[in-house]
Amino acid sequence: MEAFDMNLIPWKTKREERGLSRPEFSLARLRSEMDNLFDRMIRDPFGAAFGDETGTELSWGPQIDLAESEKDVTVTAELPGVDPKDVEIKVTDNVLTISGEKRHEREEKKRDYHYIERQHGAFHRSVALPSSVDSEKVDATFKNGVLTITLSKRPDAQARRITIKQG
Amino acid sequence: MVAKEIEAKKDANKKTQCTEPSVVRRYSPAVDIFEEPDAMVLVADVPGATPDGVDIQFERGNLTIEAAVRPRREDARTRYLLREYGVGNYRRTFEVNEQVDVSKITAKLENGVLTITMPKAEAVRPKKIAVKGM
Repeated sequence: MEAFDMNLIPWKTKREERGLSRPEFSLARLRSEMDNLFDRMIRDPFGAAFGDETGTELSWGPQIDLAESEKDVTVTAELPGVDPKDVEIKVTDNVLTISGEKRHEREEKKRDYHYIERQHGAFHRSVALPSSVDSEKVDATFKNGVLTITLSKRPDAQARRITIKQG
Repeated sequence: MVAKEIEAKKDANKKTQCTEPSVVRRYSPAVDIFEEPDAMVLVADVPGATPDGVDIQFERGNLTIEAAVRPRREDARTRYLLREYGVGNYRRTFEVNEQVDVSKITAKLENGVLTITMPKAEAVRPKKIAVKGM
């Protein structure tokens, strides 16, 4: 319960630390976090067993798509404005972790903001992969702000067609 | 408030899961809008968009941004186990109350981020007035 309470504290951005915060921004963030949580609960009430096990749902982590074909598993994440050099991808024990940092453009400048809706700062997301993947055969591309990670399945994990012998 | 959104948020602001893949959904992109001494700058997250799919219109003080995104890969062999974000086109309209030099509006798209710079009209730019000594 303690950890959960911690997560309810609105995430503090560097911008807020610099004193550029306005109350409506943190309120908007909290609201979007609550919406996000609510959406996830409706969509996937047993999500914890399958998806994010890190308990970081309320901090910034990219939403992902996870698709499976016969030969591979594809994970895509929307990371607009993130420099591919700042993204780290790890596969350990069939858990894929995407982490990194989204740097703020021209951060040094103090500016008069009218809207702040985009996410900034460190992000982290882990997901359990559905079947045995070969951690040596991982391919990642970043195009138009979308990260696509393709993981080949190990031969023994690939679907096989079983022929029924005539008795 | 110098720039404000005018279009009713009939498209839910939050992305929701695509239940009907054949329908191309429309999403409202997350934006940052800030003011610099000589320009208004709008930054929008439009992951998946390509420059040829972006359409920006400025008409009577209304700035409309649209960006086309190709739908998800859909074939019989692909099975989605998680679909947390929606894929579809982006559209959002803002009213810009600042006097903007429309002919000098520039836009760039980089890593799924659209940046639109709207230089302020000469008349409203801050000017430094030199005080003459007697």
